[in-house]
Amino acid sequence: MENESKRYMAPGKHVLMGNVAMAEGAMAAGLTFFGGYPITPSTEVPEHLVWRLPEAGGAFIQMEDELAAINSVAGASVAGAKAMTATSGPGTSLMAETISMAAAMEIPLVICDVQRNGPGTGLVTAPHHNDVFQCKYSGNGEYEVIAYAPMSCQELYDLTIEAFNAAETYRCPTYVLSDAYLGHLHEPVVIPTAEEVKKLVVARAILDKPNQEKFTFLDREGNIQIPPAPVLGTPNFPTTFISQPHGPDGIPVNEDQVLKPNTLLVEKITKNVEKIARTEAYMLDDAEVVIIAYGLTARVCYHVVNLARKEGLKAGLFRLVTIWPFPYERVKSVVAGAKAIVVPEMNLGLMAGEVERCKPLAMPMYKVPKIADIHEPGEILAVVRKAKEAHP
Amino acid sequence: MSPQITTFPNEKPEHPVTLLSMGGLMTGNFWSMFCGGCGYGIIFQLFDKVFVEEKLDPFKYPVIIGIGCYTQGNTLVPAASQRVTTLHGRAPAMATGIKLANPAMKPIILTGDGDCLGIGGNHFIHLCRRNLDSVVLLFNNSIYGMTGGQVAPTTPQGSSTMTTLGAVFENRLDGVKLALAAGATYVARTTVAHPRTFMHYLKKAIKHAGTSVIEVVTPCVTYFGRKNVNDASQRMDTGGLLLEWIKAHAVWNNQAKLLSEAELADKYVIGEFREEDRPEYSAEYEKVKKKAMEG
Ligand SMILES: Cc1ncc(C[n+]2csc(CCOP(=O)(O)OP(=O)(O)O)c2C)c(N)n1
Ligand code: SF4
Repeated sequence: MENESKRYMAPGKHVLMGNVAMAEGAMAAGLTFFGGYPITPSTEVPEHLVWRLPEAGGAFIQMEDELAAINSVAGASVAGAKAMTATSGPGTSLMAETISMAAAMEIPLVICDVQRNGPGTGLVTAPHHNDVFQCKYSGNGEYEVIAYAPMSCQELYDLTIEAFNAAETYRCPTYVLSDAYLGHLHEPVVIPTAEEVKKLVVARAILDKPNQEKFTFLDREGNIQIPPAPVLGTPNFPTTFISQPHGPDGIPVNEDQVLKPNTLLVEKITKNVEKIARTEAYMLDDAEVVIIAYGLTARVCYHVVNLARKEGLKAGLFRLVTIWPFPYERVKSVVAGAKAIVVPEMNLGLMAGEVERCKPLAMPMYKVPKIADIHEPGEILAVVRKAKEAHP
Repeated sequence: MSPQITTFPNEKPEHPVTLLSMGGLMTGNFWSMFCGGCGYGIIFQLFDKVFVEEKLDPFKYPVIIGIGCYTQGNTLVPAASQRVTTLHGRAPAMATGIKLANPAMKPIILTGDGDCLGIGGNHFIHLCRRNLDSVVLLFNNSIYGMTGGQVAPTTPQGSSTMTTLGAVFENRLDGVKLALAAGATYVARTTVAHPRTFMHYLKKAIKHAGTSVIEVVTPCVTYFGRKNVNDASQRMDTGGLLLEWIKAHAVWNNQAKLLSEAELADKYVIGEFREEDRPEYSAEYEKVKKKAMEG
């Protein structure tokens, strides 16, 4: 029961709060179900969708806890809805088991994680990019996720649409990683017209007959190919739909057959990394000091590069718009010609470990950790200067 | 689960209804993975019968299954039915998402005492509270069967289990009382020794608009029976003995009124406990939606 007249926001420039921009991005992407549980600093997302979803014909529910929230989202997605939840670190921890299940059952779903300080309850209104590993590694089993790290309210809108598309296309849990500051920032956001938005969106394919290759990843040439998600209540639904490793027909496999399906579950993402990963390069061509950053921190780094260039320091920025799957090959080629790498992060240096896997052993790398607040440009600039002095 | 499982070519289907089962269709044989004497085989056969007799549309009545021994019933439900196996305890939450995403559906949730009253207790409470149109079949075998006989929230006091040293002294949780307190609008309890009653209740539940909870007391021979004795101090290691024990401990609710609390401590009170019409969540939400869409 879709009511298109109310689905899309009026086109043009609006001043939106980050959390609202993210919610509107989801609406534009065709969201039809939201299940959540309140947690600071994400509460404006449900508070906005509680009225936006029903008027567009979707359904909103506040569940009894995050375990229930993510399971309701998975259920709705199985029933054909475009579904998401919004939470913060402690909620993401509770969702881990189901996210792993969704990966195994290849259920498309979107998790908006407005990160806050941790561990434990932490400082609940302070930002801290501490879920960058949790989002990928919290659940049991080996599986891949896709994670976007926007840095402005405009991107919260745009990348949430992309996240829904990625979830549909690759049939895996997909995150939008915001944080306490970004979620509460108010900024102008340019909303495209409904026609423009519709062109961007990947819709759920509802097949009227069983898809013979229901769960297959490989086409006849051995290329990885991901069929549309099966929808409960339609003829395209497997005889069993179970979170166990399964063969192409959806029927669970034995210990001696499990290697292949599990490998494909990972490879459907890792082999498509060039298609999925979004990165931005700024003044990298002649850069001697390469800054690698993501999320709100990257926004500061654009300014840092400008300041460094004014001083005659050849600095450049490589920004990860998606942090998972990690674009190892791209990072390798970016750092190859550099003299030093600087990795500012709003944590003690988590993704720096991934960067380390891409750089030559001898190449110096400087972490610039920051917790519960955003970096001052000067803090990062000082490290850039230091790196250049030490390795001229 | 897997087609490679050893098949017995001469084995005959036990009941024509099982001809419908997916396990049978998959292997050309009709088997279940339940232990001999387990009550789940009976339950699934009755379930299939009701599914067929009531001509349920498989697209409208998805079967949402929790984790426990009954998960293997996956292959025994009618082959045409659509089933989703969830995580341990989470079936009610997943069913809520399914129902709200497609209000034309009525999820049938298959769950156990450990699944529904232990790990998933909170989801069960809130499903009942919302009175979401769905049927919950709560299989109470008073033990954790799947994991090998550990104490369950429903284990009667004085029983012996794998994870209690000596007799169980914890209070047991009554699924029916919980469902009533939480607000389910059709609540009943029966046992596998009352097959016709079970079918009658299930048919009623399917027609009832709101959360229906039917607890079915069922024997776990392997892990409850073998470790416990009946009043004659016999080890209940056969389906027959345990079924007799269940029958002897089942009291109809009108008779239960005459018994003292002490007498009821080790009994299963059976019968219908509530049947009433109250606002149902998804129907109410549709009204909210309609108003929002028009406003
Ligand atoms: C999160 C999680 N914890 C524990 C388990 C292990 N486990 C599987 S089934 C089960 C008990 C099931 O008990 P019940 O629902 O009563 O079903 P029964 O096997 O007795 O029929 C447990 C503890 C699990 N699968 N997942
Ligand atoms: S362990 Fe118990 S509940 Fe499980 S199949 Fe055997 S008898 Fe049935």
